Formats: sequence, C-alpha cells, structure tokens
Amino acid sequence: MVDPSAALPDGVEPMIGPHLLRQRWYGGSDREAVPIEVVATAELSARGGHRLLWAIVADGGGRYQLVLGERRAGEHAEFLNGQDAAFVGATAEHFYYDAMVDPELSIEILGLVTGGREHADRVRPITAEQSNSSLVYDDRIILKLFRRLSGGANPDVEVTEALAAAGFAHVAAPVATWCRDDDVLAFAQRFLAGGSEGWALALTSLRDLYAAGPDDPSEAGGDFSSEASRLGRATAEMHLALASAFGVDREVLRAGAWDELVAEIESGLHRAAGAGWTGTPAHTIAALRAAADPGPAIRVHGDYHLGQVMRTDAGWFVLDFEGEPARPLHERIAPTSPFKDVAAMLRSFQYAAHFALLERGEESSGRLQRLADAWERRNRAAFLEGYLATVGITALLPEDGASRAAVSLAFELDKALYELAYERAYRPEWVDIPSAAIRRLLARSESDGLG
Amino acid sequence: MNLPIRPDRLDPEWYRRAVFYEILVRGFYDANGDGMGDLRGITAKLDYLEWLGVDCLWLLPFYQSPLRDGGYDISDFFSVLPEYGTLGDAVELVEEAHKRGMRIIADLVMNHTSDQHPWFQESRRDRTNPKADWYVWSDDDQVWPDARVIFVDTEKSNWAHDAQRGQYYWHRFFSHQPDLNYDNPAVADTMLDVVRFWLDIGLDGFRLDAVPYLYERDGTNGENLPETHEYLRRVRKEVDAAFPGRVLLAEANQWPEDVVDYFGDGDECQMCFHFPVMPRLFMSVRREQRHPVTEILARTPEIPPGCQWGIFLRNHDELTLEMVTDDERDYMYSEYAKDPRMKRNIGIGRRLAPLVDNDRRVAELLHALLFSLPGSPILYYGDEIGMGDNIYLRDRDSVRTPMQWSPDRNAGFSRADFAQLYLPPLMDPVYGYQAINVEAVMRDPSSLLHWMRRMLEVRKQHPVFGTGSFEVLSVENPSVLAYIRQVPNGPEAVGEPDTVLCVCNLSRLAQPAELALQRWAGKLPIELLGRVPFPRVGELPYFVTLAPYGFYWFELVDH
Repeated sequence: MVDPSAALPDGVEPMIGPHLLRQRWYGGSDREAVPIEVVATAELSARGGHRLLWAIVADGGGRYQLVLGERRAGEHAEFLNGQDAAFVGATAEHFYYDAMVDPELSIEILGLVTGGREHADRVRPITAEQSNSSLVYDDRIILKLFRRLSGGANPDVEVTEALAAAGFAHVAAPVATWCRDDDVLAFAQRFLAGGSEGWALALTSLRDLYAAGPDDPSEAGGDFSSEASRLGRATAEMHLALASAFGVDREVLRAGAWDELVAEIESGLHRAAGAGWTGTPAHTIAALRAAADPGPAIRVHGDYHLGQVMRTDAGWFVLDFEGEPARPLHERIAPTSPFKDVAAMLRSFQYAAHFALLERGEESSGRLQRLADAWERRNRAAFLEGYLATVGITALLPEDGASRAAVSLAFELDKALYELAYERAYRPEWVDIPSAAIRRLLARSESDGLG
Repeated sequence: MNLPIRPDRLDPEWYRRAVFYEILVRGFYDANGDGMGDLRGITAKLDYLEWLGVDCLWLLPFYQSPLRDGGYDISDFFSVLPEYGTLGDAVELVEEAHKRGMRIIADLVMNHTSDQHPWFQESRRDRTNPKADWYVWSDDDQVWPDARVIFVDTEKSNWAHDAQRGQYYWHRFFSHQPDLNYDNPAVADTMLDVVRFWLDIGLDGFRLDAVPYLYERDGTNGENLPETHEYLRRVRKEVDAAFPGRVLLAEANQWPEDVVDYFGDGDECQMCFHFPVMPRLFMSVRREQRHPVTEILARTPEIPPGCQWGIFLRNHDELTLEMVTDDERDYMYSEYAKDPRMKRNIGIGRRLAPLVDNDRRVAELLHALLFSLPGSPILYYGDEIGMGDNIYLRDRDSVRTPMQWSPDRNAGFSRADFAQLYLPPLMDPVYGYQAINVEAVMRDPSSLLHWMRRMLEVRKQHPVFGTGSFEVLSVENPSVLAYIRQVPNGPEAVGEPDTVLCVCNLSRLAQPAELALQRWAGKLPIELLGRVPFPRVGELPYFVTLAPYGFYWFELVDH
C-alpha cells in the first residue's frame, strides 16, 4: 500500500452511506442511510493521476470493504456508462466511483492481491454476488473481493485451499489470498474458462425434454443422467477430500446433533402443517429416531446445489464453500453428515425440473408434470449411483442401510422444510415445489422405502 | 511425366487451407456404361466439383483388386482396376483436375496386399523362393499374443494357416489380406517405388490406410512402433526431396494424443485424421450443449508447424467406436451408446441427412462447424445434396450407393441396365433420386448445395479457417459454442492477419449469449455470409441472439 494511513479525501465520507444503499451486497435493510463509521483507510496506488483508495466502513450492523477510484472532475470515464450504482459522488476537483468497474484500477488490484506475481491485460466484471464482487482477468484468474467482512477465517478460502492441498481435482486452484488483520479481503483463483453452471446445464436438458416431448427422459437427446452421475462421483470425491483435510467426527451426530436435527424436523413439520400432505409425521419422526447410527460427520460444502457446480472440459468443479450465507459462521462450519450436501443437491434437481416447468406457464400439463418427475427420478438415481459407487465413500456414511436411508431422508426433509418457509415468505407461487417434496418424503418413510 | 498443379503450386502448405472431397470411384459416375463408376466418370464431373468449390479430391482405392474389401485388398499396386479404367485415364483425370486448380490424393494401403497379389502367390509357394520373406510367416500361431484382433466379427486370430507353404501368415485385418514384411528391405524399397510411381503421374499425395501396423515386434501390441515411424520419416523425406508440396494423410483411428505421433516433428505425415471430433459433434447437437466438442478439442495436443488435422462429418466407413482408447470408449459408450437413437446407428453406416432426421438446419450447423473448427474439412460425396442411405444393403454399402445426378434413369449415374448397376440407387420418396439429385438442387437457389457452395466460397476468402489459432470463448449459456480463429498481427504471423468469430447455437430452441469480447473492444463484427455489419464491440459483454441451430461467422475488422 502506497500510503497505509491516508484518510479519505474531504467530502467523500458523507457519500458512502447513500452509496452503500445502492449495493446488492449491502446488508442494512433500511432504505435510509445510517451513520457510517470509517474504520480504516489507505491509498493503494496513484498512477497517472488515478488514485485507488481503500476503506473499511461500519454501519453498526456490519463491516464493509470499499475500493474507490478517484479521477479529476471532467475526465472521461466511459466504463461508468450504465453503472449508476457504481458512482459514489463528486467534489469540486474529483469524482469517486467503485474501482471494480474501472479496468485500469481493477488490473492494479490484481497486482496488489497477488503481490505482483500475476499480471493481466484484460479484465471484466461478472455478475455480482450477494457477498462479494468478482472480476475475471484474461479468462485466467477470478478475483473475489469480499464486501461484508466477518473477521476470522473465511470458509470459502479456507476450504478451497484445504481441498486443493488435499489433491482434490475438482476445485479451482487458489492463486492468492489478500488479508488484513483478521479479515480476508480478497481471494484469487484459477478461472474455469468455458465452463457451464450446473443449473444452466440442467435447464438446457429440461427445456429440450419439454420441447421435444418424448415419453421418457432416457429417450431425450438432452439427457442429463451421465452428467448427474459424474457429478455424484465428484461430490463423493469432495467429501473424501474434506474428510482427509478436516478430519472425521464419529461422535457428534450420535452424541446429540442427530436428535437435535430430528427435533427440528418435528417442529418444522408442525409449523408447516396444512401444506397439503396427509399421513402422520409422527410415524416418520419415530422412524428417524429409530435410526441405529447416524454415522460420521465431516466438514461439508453446506450450501450445495446446481448453481454451485460448474461443468468444464475437465469435468465438474465445485464452487463457493461459504455455506448458507444466512446462517452464523459456527453453524456453517460445524461437521455434519455428508448427506446434508447430497440431500441439498437432490432437492436442487427437483427445483430445476419445476423451474423449467414454470417457465412454460400454462403448458405445464399433466404430461409435462410427469416428465418433470421422471427427469428428477432419473437424475436422482444417476447422481446417487455415481456418489455411492465412489471407492471409500461408504466409510463416511452410516453403516447399515436403514440408518443410511433415515439420515438421507432427514436431510432432504430438513432442506424441504426450510424451502417451504422461505417460499411462503417470499415466493408463494413456488410453495408447491417443497410441499410436494415433503409429501413425497413422508410417503417414502411410511413405505419404508427410505433412500 | 510430371504434371504439377498450375495455380499456387509453390504453396507447400496448400492442404492446410484446402477443402477435401471424398469420392468412391465405383459410385460417382459411370462414363462407359458398364454399371460401375470409373475414373473417366470423375473427369466428366470435374466441372461440377470445381463449381462446388472443393480443392482436393480423395479417391478411394482404384488399384487392381479382387474387391473383397472395397479395393483395400490390392493385387497390383502399379495398375488400375480395369472396371475403373486405365493408367491413361488416371493421368487424364489428374491433368484435368490440375487444369481446374484442383488436386487429387488417393488411398494407398501399405500394410498389406490381397492374397491374390502375385507377390503373395509366389511367397506362399515354399520357404525359399525369392519372395519368401515378403510376408510375415511363422510356424507358430501363438506369436505376438498382445496384438489385438481388429475385425473381431470375422477373424479369430491375426494368424492364418496356409496349406501350400505349411506355415501361418500374419494379417492384422482380414485373412485374405496378408501383412507385408517391412523388415525385408526389398519390401520397404518396393513400397517406396509404388509411392514414386503415382506421384510421378501427378497425384498430389496419399491417404495412408491403416498406418500404425507396418512392423511387428516381440512383446508389443504391434501398433505405433518406432520402426513404423522411422519408415514414415523415410517416405516423407523421399517425397519432399523429389516431389515437394505433396501431402501424406495418415489414417490412425486413435485418440488424438496418440495420433500426433504420426506428425513426428513435422517430418512424418503432414495430415492425420482427427477421429473423435466427428461423433462428438453429433453428440453436442443431440445434448444441446458444447462440452462434448470443447472437451475433445481441449484434449487435442498442439501439432507441429506445417501440419493439419483432417476432420469430417461422415465418410465411407461406419460411425465406429473401434480403435479408440478405453477411456474414450467408456466415455462414448456412456454418452453415446446409451442414447437409443445413437445406439441404432452404431455399427450401421448412415449418411449425414438421415443421421440428423433430414433437418436442414442441423445439417447446415454441422457443416458450419466442420468448416470452421481447426482442421481441413473432408466432405463425403453426396452429402452436399443431402443424399440418404439404404440400410438394407449389406455391410457398409448402405452409404455407398450411386451419386444422384438427375431424375433420369439410374439417377443419371449410368446408362447401363438397372440390373447391371453395382448397387441400386436410392428410390425412396424422401431421399430417392427423383427428389434429391444434383440437377434439381442446382436449379433451386435455396438448396443445401447452393448454401454449401456459398460457405466454401466464404471459407476460401478466409484462410484463417485453415491456419488460424483456435480459442473457445467463455459463454454462460451451455448451448452456445463460440470461438475465435485468428492469424495474429505481428512479425511471427504467417499469412494475412485475420480474426473470425464463430458463434453456434447447438439447441433446437432460440438462445441468447453474452460473449466476453472485451479483448476485441472497438472491432466491428461483419457477418460473413451477408456482409452485414453488427454493432461494434465495446467493454461490455457482447450480446447476440441465435435462431434454433443458428450460427454466425463474423470477421472482426477495425472499420
């Protein structure tokens, strides 16, 4: 840092509150600016009269990282066209903006983050995430700048580095980490050029299926099952690598975590009662409680779904190990059964099948509905087949088949209950997706066809 | 009698820019009315091929042969099969093609001969005759157990017993095709004489059939041996010295990382077929996603300067999974054979049009890919008019029916009696010659044929399609495949600097795509088929929409 203690220029501080309100990653929900405290500032570089400024600010609720560009008033800045949210404000002499939209300063940032080890000719921003802003350099490196700082280990960085060190081939290799005190400020990784997000790939398969309309998804040109099977294998390999990097806890589930989960499911079912299922949740709860051994616990991905995996020319890659952003850190990193990830991915298959149905609106006839279910069944089976066929994975799962089925059912049910609460609150038109799943899961437990 | 090609004959790398056209001599055009196509028939149709815009013809074997394996069983390397014509006809064909700026390469089988070849007839007589060591003989049929049997359906062993000589002879293919013994210097020399003989006549090169199997060695599987490569280097050296600018195209149906060995250090064959690209193109369209294609291209190694891949959609063989590595076969079986529609096609020769359900949009998309991916495209006769196949014919004859020239008798292919034809022309209502023939589609300006001609014209204007670098662009939409072909501007540039952007929609549905084109910010994309300028590239992702199975070729220019 050129000047590690340079204060923000006069007049900039008052602009920050309103600027934060315009950012997707800002956590404050009020629509009015709250008082902002500047926690730390620095001047990162100053070349050709373009200064790169850095700050951490706090609004009482959280701490946020800013990188600001400074240019002289009247200077041309074409990159700001259509980027209203990135404009911070102007003083008499200068104007200020989010440096992540300025190619020149973004390239500076890569040099700073990697200690000068990496250089790039080109940079482009990619779709903003909720907690960070990402830039892609030369289609070779992706840099995530973390916006909301939590202090302490960043699970995404920690897990990615550990997996890479454990020789797991399906994670984008880390390039550099940028830290200050306890905070991880930015993380650079190899960019998976030419990759397709799993969600997009699943929708491609489903749209083809619904448009072509054979009677059976196995007949469809866009069949997804071999992808699903390879994804299952990559998932199992991820779990094996996580187990070797973070260890295996054989007690925690048995010692109480499993009972807590079942209790949570029980109260969740009570809260959600009336969502249209029949049968007796009590039977299911009893079946779950009867599980002989819920099996080992490991560090897991924690927020695993089709949007977190990327199909590249070198196979499936897993992204984003932050866990569910809404949960507190200690919950996100707590060891649990690998079935938590498996169940979440299986839930994602149902969402994809129904999302593609909803796209078609009034056309979602009974026939398409049946196709959606058949697609989900087929790809669930393929995913599980790939997962369970991976050498060594059974050591991380409950030993007996009945317990295995119970644990898998419990995590799927838990996830579906969470989805149901979410959809009721935010997207009532989607409520049918999780409630249909809950109905099905309860029916499955009754027929003892667990798993 | 050396008749080098007239135009740009000093361009030693012509094959990197050329479009090839594969011709079954028997099936193209019958000039003498005996029911079978011939060399003079091809000469008669050169004007058509010139009009179409192909650069080089590849003739399937036309040598003296008992025709037990489509002419790949040669019984005299120095003469033409009488049904196909005479040596004089071959000379005339080469001369006429050269006059039109077209080149001709021919199949050459170096590995084996027909058992009817006089060399073998002499060799089998006893163990002491002058040709006794021209083939690979053994008292023991258990030697070289690691060499796999290629034609497992018909052959049990690579050894066959010969009662006359009382020994076993080695054959990697059919038992009526004994392998030549390249350890005998006389054989190695004589086969070079064969090469020189045809190059003297004016042929522009060879497609070398079954090239990995020339030598045999203990403890090996007899494929890709160092001795084989050494011999190919010798062939190349002799060819370059006496006949510069002629091309050797290797047929080694293997994984690209193994095939590259046949380029040597640029001192073996200039061209090799890239086999796995073809089924993966079909798979990508079937799956509506780019990964089957991009994956194989990502796994394709760099090749030495001056070398080129040969790529194709269909040829005279089956859509086959033979001769690929286990890895690739597993992948192909899990991805391809599982698809019931594709399974029907495995082991069954099909032409392009029926393979894509006669969907013109898919046929165009596949050709647009063929013409723009790295490699020199090879067309199969008849595919340019959308010919079909006859799956009721034996073996691979289903895709070897007569070329359909007109709605006249015998598809205009021959004036012989119908019963005399080597195979019946197609007569079904969809693909039959009444509906699909050159005369009819030539009159229809919107036909596939005219479209193809236009594409070849555009391709010719942009040698970058043959020689440029290849880079896949990142696109979020999995159904969209976008890539850049580029001959860079700079001192190391070979040829005119040029940048072409290709964008393909592999889906049956319309698709949007945002392309990361920031590196070309400021450039103006000109659509190559219509020369329509598109909006200038800026710093933001470049947005395009594509019709179902649609594609664009853009030239990126400054203004």
